[in-house]
Amino acid sequence: MSYQAAGTARTASGSKLQSRRRILLRLGYFKPYLYLLPALVSIGFWIYKPLVQTFELSFYQWNLLPTSPKKFVGFDNFQHLFDLPDMGTALWNTVIYTVGVIPFSLLIPLIIAIATDNISKRARNVYRALIFLPMIMAPVAVSSVWRWIMHPTNGILNKLLATIFHPSEPIRFFTDEKWAIWSITFITGWKLIGFSTLIFSAAMTGINREYVEAARIDRASRFQIIWHIILPLLSPTILFMTMMSTLFASEWSFSYINVLTQGGPSNATTNIYYLLWTYGFQTFNIGASSAAAVVFFLGFGVLAFGFMKLTKKLSFFDN
Amino acid sequence: MERVQRSAGVKLSWSSFVKHALLVCLSFVAVFPLYWMIATSLKTEGDVFSSSIIPLHATLQNYTQAWRAVPMFRMLSNSMVVAIVQTLVQLLTSVLAGYAFTRWEFRGSSLIYGLIALTWLVPFQVIMIPNYVAVSGFGWRDNLLGLIVPNLVSAFAVLQLYNAFKSYPKTLIEAARLDGASDWGLLWRTIVPNLKASIASIGILLFITAWNDYFWPLLVTTKLEHSTVQKGLQMFISSDGNMWGALMAATTITSLPVLIIYLLLQRQIIDSFVKGGLK
Repeated sequence: MSYQAAGTARTASGSKLQSRRRILLRLGYFKPYLYLLPALVSIGFWIYKPLVQTFELSFYQWNLLPTSPKKFVGFDNFQHLFDLPDMGTALWNTVIYTVGVIPFSLLIPLIIAIATDNISKRARNVYRALIFLPMIMAPVAVSSVWRWIMHPTNGILNKLLATIFHPSEPIRFFTDEKWAIWSITFITGWKLIGFSTLIFSAAMTGINREYVEAARIDRASRFQIIWHIILPLLSPTILFMTMMSTLFASEWSFSYINVLTQGGPSNATTNIYYLLWTYGFQTFNIGASSAAAVVFFLGFGVLAFGFMKLTKKLSFFDN
Repeated sequence: MERVQRSAGVKLSWSSFVKHALLVCLSFVAVFPLYWMIATSLKTEGDVFSSSIIPLHATLQNYTQAWRAVPMFRMLSNSMVVAIVQTLVQLLTSVLAGYAFTRWEFRGSSLIYGLIALTWLVPFQVIMIPNYVAVSGFGWRDNLLGLIVPNLVSAFAVLQLYNAFKSYPKTLIEAARLDGASDWGLLWRTIVPNLKASIASIGILLFITAWNDYFWPLLVTTKLEHSTVQKGLQMFISSDGNMWGALMAATTITSLPVLIIYLLLQRQIIDSFVKGGLK
């Protein structure tokens, strides 16, 4: 009897505890959202809301003046998008930037990372510190320094070239139509190259050495080892860097264009992001800028999606 | 296995020479422009155009000239305030968000995580016009608020801190809970002190990014007194003239905080950059 009473008492207190826990759970239900609130509000207000607004603005004609009315024009902005001045040049230049950065973001770093694998730890740290330096420099500072180095008459680069090649006249790196885009591409690449090298080196140290050893025992040549073992094992990293450099080459070059050439000479260095900038804040054609932004955003989004699908497919390597 | 490598290393000393030669070349390309910046900034007016590698008559006159040419002190303090406040708030918002993702399982968590992670796909140039309109509407142009408030969350920091939090042992969290710690206390008294190192290195990256930012100050400030050093430097560059010594001095001044941090903490900076990817 007493035993039974004790039992019911226990279940009673148990259910009380349970209901208290339930209330707490219900309160707790909102907790994660509360912790996320600051981040969500900020991202919502400063990234997703403007994104929607850009979609909206792409259907209007407007000149950015708060007092002037926005005129609804439907799909007009999109229809005329590719007839806009400089659009063709900007698209082509974007391709040049994207392809031109690949040697700096991918090829040279990959070669250096593979060639300099298993170097002594102390030397590695010194090199790492040195080659990473450009990455932390501000784009404006980088522009300033290269403007000085590549100055046509007083820059050290042209002086050096003059003593070696004796050209008839100095190269005008930023004002010569033929050279300007390559100068900007080079500066974009210069900032990246050390970083990419470190990414690939890190991936190299992550490779399981047993694969390489096994291949070596099987008398695989160094080239065979690189081609059949190292490169496939590095493929997720290679894909990642390809994606980053394809998606962002034009965004990275933006500040150099803005500081050094303003898109010139005669549009030789403009690209799609710089075009958005000029439409938006120089000619104040908000409709065109927004329509172009929508098209490029969706285009790059599709590209990124494709890359991510590919990455998933390739990630079975080395698990 | 180690022995195999070592004997291979001795045999292939030629290959080790090639390795070092490659890395020395790359290091030279990376460092020379910065060396040249500092060397030029120390040269006298007459020496600037000579290509002597070392500033023979080192002088600081370029620095005084640069300091007077633009409101350098104002811009440096603006940059400092913006970078520090922005970094601290970004750390706070991402600590809270990272904690929410690791501490609880809740409806929509992966959707919210995705929304935060996907922001890296949104280029600045795509959203700049609405944001410019919003900041103008608040009357925040030429105001530090306009520089700071749009950047209170860094998706990069959220993702990085989420990873750091995930690695924190679950058993320690359980133990603290059994001791009666509240969720809030658990975060600030147990988890954050233990993850100080990773939080600090993320903070350094955030500071460098904020210090180097250039697009946004370019858009929302017009007067140099209200702007950051990056915009000031850009004005200095386009004002042209042949004041290369002063320009390099100004460039050195604006890069100095970041360079000093790098000198002190390069290993942590490199590690977290390499781990975290770009942006």
